[in-house]
Amino acid sequence: MSLFAVSVRRFSILFYLGLTLAGLGALLATGLFFTAMRQLPQVPQPLGRITETPPTEIFAATGERLMVIGGREVVPLNRISPFFIEAVIATEDHRFWEHHGLDKLRTLKALWITLFERGRIQGASTITQQLAKNLFFSYRRTYMRKFRELLVALQIETQYSKREILEAYLNQIPFGVGAYGIEQAARSFFAKPALELNLAESALLAGLPKSPTRYNPYRYFKRAKKRQQLVLERMKAVGYTTAEEAAAAFEAELQLTPHAAGTTKGSYFLDLVLNDLEERYGPEVVYHGGLKVSTTLDPQQQAWATESLQNGLIKLDQLMGIADNNDADSASPLTHPQGALVAIECNSGAVKALVGGRDYSETEFNRAVESNRLPGSGFKPFLYYAAFEKLDLTPADVFVDKAITIPVKGASDWRPQNFGREYEGPMILKQALMKSVNVIAAQLVERVGPDAVIDVARRSGIKSALTPVYSLALGTSGASPLEMASAFGTFATGGVRHEPFWIRRIEDPLGRVLEEQIVRGQRTLDADISFQLVDMMRGVLATGTGRIARRMGFELPAAGKTGTTDDYRDAWFTGFTPTLSVSVWVGYDRGISMRDVNGVGITGGRGAAPIWADFMIKATSGEPPREFTVPSNIRFEMVDAVSGGIPGQWTRTPVKVALRSGQDADSRPKASAPEVADRPADQVPDQPATIKGGKPIIEEAGKPTIKAEDDSTIKEEDLPPE
Amino acid sequence: MRPILLLMMVSCIFILELRFDWMERMLGSYLVTTNSERPESGSIWEKSHQTRTAQQALEQILTDRQTLQREVRSAATFTQIAANVALGKGVMLSADHFRKLYSRLAPSIAHDIISPFELLGLVSNGRWRRTYFEKSLTGLMIYLLDANNRVLRQLELDSVLLSQLKRGEVALAESLDQLPIFKNRIYSADQFFNSLESFPEEVRRSMVPHPETLLEISGKIVRVGISDETLSGFIELAFEFFDGTQHRVVIVQGHEWAVWRLRSHLEGMDMDKAAGQTDEQKKHWTRQ
Repeated sequence: MSLFAVSVRRFSILFYLGLTLAGLGALLATGLFFTAMRQLPQVPQPLGRITETPPTEIFAATGERLMVIGGREVVPLNRISPFFIEAVIATEDHRFWEHHGLDKLRTLKALWITLFERGRIQGASTITQQLAKNLFFSYRRTYMRKFRELLVALQIETQYSKREILEAYLNQIPFGVGAYGIEQAARSFFAKPALELNLAESALLAGLPKSPTRYNPYRYFKRAKKRQQLVLERMKAVGYTTAEEAAAAFEAELQLTPHAAGTTKGSYFLDLVLNDLEERYGPEVVYHGGLKVSTTLDPQQQAWATESLQNGLIKLDQLMGIADNNDADSASPLTHPQGALVAIECNSGAVKALVGGRDYSETEFNRAVESNRLPGSGFKPFLYYAAFEKLDLTPADVFVDKAITIPVKGASDWRPQNFGREYEGPMILKQALMKSVNVIAAQLVERVGPDAVIDVARRSGIKSALTPVYSLALGTSGASPLEMASAFGTFATGGVRHEPFWIRRIEDPLGRVLEEQIVRGQRTLDADISFQLVDMMRGVLATGTGRIARRMGFELPAAGKTGTTDDYRDAWFTGFTPTLSVSVWVGYDRGISMRDVNGVGITGGRGAAPIWADFMIKATSGEPPREFTVPSNIRFEMVDAVSGGIPGQWTRTPVKVALRSGQDADSRPKASAPEVADRPADQVPDQPATIKGGKPIIEEAGKPTIKAEDDSTIKEEDLPPE
Repeated sequence: MRPILLLMMVSCIFILELRFDWMERMLGSYLVTTNSERPESGSIWEKSHQTRTAQQALEQILTDRQTLQREVRSAATFTQIAANVALGKGVMLSADHFRKLYSRLAPSIAHDIISPFELLGLVSNGRWRRTYFEKSLTGLMIYLLDANNRVLRQLELDSVLLSQLKRGEVALAESLDQLPIFKNRIYSADQFFNSLESFPEEVRRSMVPHPETLLEISGKIVRVGISDETLSGFIELAFEFFDGTQHRVVIVQGHEWAVWRLRSHLEGMDMDKAAGQTDEQKKHWTRQ
């Protein structure tokens, strides 16, 4: 046999073997095809159906859109920048206009690399395949899934034009920061429509879908720029742009919008709204129903609230000697104190601003609503109200600040103590609240009973569980800043309670009203007694524990109360004007003690009141001074701060008190201070014994004090056993 | 030779496939034909189903709301509204609608709900836009709202008032004899209307302030009763209707002073004499 014949024979054998194998392969592929086809999903007709889910939109009180959930902002191809279209095609699938859903050459190349180059896996999905994957398949990587994806891509290519496919693809790809589709992405990242994207912006955005988190320009700008460069090189290679244009685009400065830094404006607030919506309608309706939700949020006040809280917490860090955020060791939020701020419109209950923590991207725990921290002395106004209501006491009644022992039935005696563990002797109740004297509060709760205090707190708006023990009056039952702001708002409105709310109106996608908030008030407290409390709490800002607010320049008529708990774990300030009630809390989530670099504890007056004042100055700027409405049954009298009687000629600091009709400061029985009552008012020392350890507590106006303020602190030994 | 031919053929097929994608097109076309038989599965369909479920849920909520709204809008009285609204639910109506319902009330009851002058004040200042009705445990709460849904005035129709309304607005008995407060003063229709006609129109208006409500009732008035009791300056008059098959009693309220005059006239008293006896008589048969 000749060599030629042998060669022909060998070739024939090889050829037939190849043909047989190809035939077997074809048979296998056919079997695979029919197997895969059985679970192949139906392709919707038209493809634009992907945009049918209406978005749920949440709006601020000003009409500004705060959040969009689901849905897509769909734009036709002619409303998308050609730069972006070219960038995507060059990066993802440069033969898009030529193939029929499968780029065979690229697939063969990818197969070769994957099989024969160790450690390298090359993808070769076309835009159509990616669309098929995004529309129908999970992200689980299996060969069968890839095969099904390919089949669906082939069908899509047969069923739809290239332009329709591209349009569908560009309108659904994820870009991160909650943006799906190019229009939403262009607006989120560059605050402009997709049509106006320039080459640099287009290249940056076209690089994101590969890994929106990894290339997030807000977090990893360098990485995003590298990816942009790669996109520009691809565009250059494909011939969509010149080298000069690509270089200029790479050098161009990117104007990223600041607010898309991983969170949405007012996120703690939005969490609250979403949770509420889910409770009312269920998650399916919220995320797929296309609700239009109008909220009470004032974006400007929200911005100020965030700024005030964050600045306040940074100052607190400095005061406490905590390293700044850039320090690698301090990256954990646990090392920094947290805070919360809630602002409520008094005469409606509408929540105007709500910040639940230092940084939403670090921790989503909403301390404004979900955190129940001990309010400390911030709870005393409820006690004083109860005492005025049940015992008919007045702000001019005198109690003695002295060491006391209160017997507790079935438990050991309660020996409450003041901050600093010193006593000032007799003083009127207004002074006692302004100075937040624990011992006098303890005497009041003993007389009025904890149940009466709970009743007042409930009527004011506190909903958290309250334990009926004496120490309740000193704030040993937790409450959230939202509750505190709302409850103090009841005092601000003269006893009319408004339930706090954050959703004003809910509509369906067609604008039909599903629900709307009725702004109703209910009188739960007496107007006269409420005013007496307001007047006393004004004193807290004027000369009491919250006077820092005045020193910082907040001048509008306002009232409030500080609160500090055991070992300086919580610092509160809740205060209000006639229109706005604001509560601020600062502290550690884990209840760690807060002390400055000198070891002095952080009180409500030092930690929370400055944040409150900073926010109030901004939130009320331009507002004319508006006084609290004085009820017709109220009259003012000047009294001696120690004896409660008419001020004598030696009285240096007479105090103005608000009295209800029928209440007479001078003729009041001084049951709690017989040693004072027995003396004529003008013989009582004018200046009360306000000396603690040789230092005056109340510094001269305008002069800062380095001593911890005379705020009350609940000590563990103060708590009666339950 | 055959293998070469075959090789050429296979190569041809391969090149044509590379050039024209006929295999992909063929498969694609086949898949299009089977599309409608395949399941609606995958993330886009799941989303679609969730959207449909959500829309159905919303539609249900809206339908319930609209049904309630319709029923309440068609209600002619506050008692009908109270009957339609479920506990904890509410319904919004226009301010005009409330006024319409209010104007149909017997004056004494209307006054107990809200003074007409106060209502006029609210109407005149233009802030009152809508009215929200809400069923409560004790009755029906009515909120008069401004454009921002702030409550301008909160009214409560408690169960006592509601039952009073019910009594005053609908026929509640088949015969006057079943109502003890009228049993002392029952007159034939002829006697009553003859007496009524003897008074000038403005006085008659005070005796029977809304005669049109009586005109709406089918049948003939056979007897009229005058109550022994006065209610906030008003006295109830009960009209017994007979439509050929059954008797019904409808109660309206007339101003006390006018009904007094009518009653005196019916009893054949001299007006001056009647006026002289009024106080004494009141002690005997008038209960506030």
